[in-house]
Amino acid sequence: MKPFFINTRAPNPAAEEFGVRIAARLDDSTRLLPVHVAERLRLARVQAVKQGRLLRRQETPVFVTSSGSRWGKKDHFGFWGRASSVLPLIALLIGLVFIGILQEQQRAHEIAEVDTELLTGDLPPVAYTDPGFAQYLKVGGPD
Amino acid sequence: MASEQELEAFLKGVEKRAFKRSYYHVRNEESALDIVQDSMMKLCEHYGHKPLEELPMLFQRILTNSTLDWFRRQKTKNALFSNLSDFESRDEGGDFDILESLLLNTNPEQIESAQDHAQRAQILRVIESEIQGLPARQREAFLMRYWEELDVAETASAMGCSQGSVKTHCSRAVAALAKALKIRGICI
Repeated sequence: MKPFFINTRAPNPAAEEFGVRIAARLDDSTRLLPVHVAERLRLARVQAVKQGRLLRRQETPVFVTSSGSRWGKKDHFGFWGRASSVLPLIALLIGLVFIGILQEQQRAHEIAEVDTELLTGDLPPVAYTDPGFAQYLKVGGPD
Repeated sequence: MASEQELEAFLKGVEKRAFKRSYYHVRNEESALDIVQDSMMKLCEHYGHKPLEELPMLFQRILTNSTLDWFRRQKTKNALFSNLSDFESRDEGGDFDILESLLLNTNPEQIESAQDHAQRAQILRVIESEIQGLPARQREAFLMRYWEELDVAETASAMGCSQGSVKTHCSRAVAALAKALKIRGICI
């Protein structure tokens, strides 16, 4: 067998071919692996893939919209898709504000009615500050 | 991005060679299995989202780093029993004992005669022992270049050295193997 190396950095087809032939022989060694090693490798592979899957799920936040569709980092949603999932929330907020305004108006209306009654009634408003009259109203008044 | 099935198929395709590669370095079955498992975990955890074509290079680099980590841990754990000699430059064959070579499962293959199989297994053991006897960097470069079929640039990238160094390591490894096999009367 001729020596392969004169210049170690120059390409040498004979050396390349020899390396490939040695590597081909090494392939035999992988076919002859003991069963327990092959099984351990299989388990390691399954565990690694499972671990990777779990990790990716944790990293990807997933929101479920009202229509049941998933909205996550990896999903491709358009503007309207995202807007439609936010709409119920906006509607809820508008409803709450509307109800608040209505209640406020109703309360003001009731207070105004009481004031009107007080001012237009036969009794002077000062009478309501009299403790005796208050006691009189409490026990039933004229009825 | 590689799908889960593609990732698993990729690992299935490389796991046995990865084990043998680690074994040639650390010479301990359990440690080699741990290194491969660790490498698989790192690939899936950190690079599972990468395209399929990038996985071989990434895996080779992770395996190399995991093996180096193992040597570092061994060095820290036990200063008396270390494999530092693996990192030293050694141009001559050394005094490796063939009796220390890997014991393999020698179940006969159906298509081969018992004699052919025995001869083949014996040659394989010699090759493996000679590869184990190579300096670590030469062995790494040789295995990546010819067994993993990476090109010079990819090997250099995975080993973290220049392309010139890879060529030198490979050339020296091939020369050392050729010389050792010739001495043992083995013609490949």
